[in-house]
Amino acid sequence: MSFLAGEPVMDKHSKTLEIMRRIGAPKPEKIRISGFLKSPDLASLTLLLPGGDTDSFSTVLQLMGDHEINIRFINKYRDSAGNTSLCLCIDAESLDTALIVLDANESSLGIRDFMYHPQVRIISIYPHKERPRVAERLLTTLRMHGIDILSTNNASSVISCVLNTEYVEQALACLADVFELP
Amino acid sequence: MGSAETLEIFPLKIRRDLIQLSFLRIPTRPGATRPLFDLLERHNVPVRFFLEGCAGDYNRDLIICISNEDFTRIEPELDEVKTRIQAQAVELVHSVAVVRILGPHFDIRPGASALLFGALQRADITVFCNATTITSSLCVISDDEVETAERVIGRTFDVPKKKK
Repeated sequence: MSFLAGEPVMDKHSKTLEIMRRIGAPKPEKIRISGFLKSPDLASLTLLLPGGDTDSFSTVLQLMGDHEINIRFINKYRDSAGNTSLCLCIDAESLDTALIVLDANESSLGIRDFMYHPQVRIISIYPHKERPRVAERLLTTLRMHGIDILSTNNASSVISCVLNTEYVEQALACLADVFELP
Repeated sequence: MGSAETLEIFPLKIRRDLIQLSFLRIPTRPGATRPLFDLLERHNVPVRFFLEGCAGDYNRDLIICISNEDFTRIEPELDEVKTRIQAQAVELVHSVAVVRILGPHFDIRPGASALLFGALQRADITVFCNATTITSSLCVISDDEVETAERVIGRTFDVPKKKK
């Protein structure tokens, strides 16, 4: 480390420096929103499927539909290994049926990894209006309070995140601190 | 579920001339993604599509779509952002579009999402990313496939014509 005048004494990307920048910084102004939405009890399923031409994403959805399973939330994208990462939220009471269906079709779907959370809820903030700071405030606030965010997306005018049910009330309380409701 | 013909949806909302940016395997820590969102905010860049998912090993994947024009403005600062957010990889997909399908109520109609994605798959349309919540679904597809997607979705759901 150098202390010569005009030279940086610490790497500008240093985490310590980042923390020091924030200490003593004024509390950010609340972001005005219209409200929060909270879903009923749901379960989440996260699947890793083969990517590319053999993408079995729509087959998974078809199987869920064939078994009368409602889908309230979908996140689908290609991960760093080229697999299709798929997160679904379904009605909590449908979880057993979904697990049986996926288990029975595991090899034909080519499921590479699978996990589920039996009790989750979706919290949504509206309006999102495609504002980057709304997403940033949501993610940072929840993580600052130790709340694990399972999945997040925006659709139309809301931005939504999937949380384990046990964190939902805590999440709403800390979000009310950083977002301004009418 | 009832016949697909009975599912009336709102006119499609399509945003074209976008770029998809995937920031892959970002550490899960508070504020990890702040440098990216600060950059977007500083340049008044609207985020047309946003998704974050679990990448395993306490990492996250973050996908956004912004306009090509906005990308040109922020591109010089992206390397620094990549370093600061500690993304293990950044992937770009050029010339994409975001198609919004609003109205089918995926949450109360089992099979509604399968109708949509089955139809797109049969038409060989690749959905790079999808974000669906309750009754709205955003699909990121190649800009070249927008017209086909419009036709396919128009055959799958009852889409009112846009007022002139």
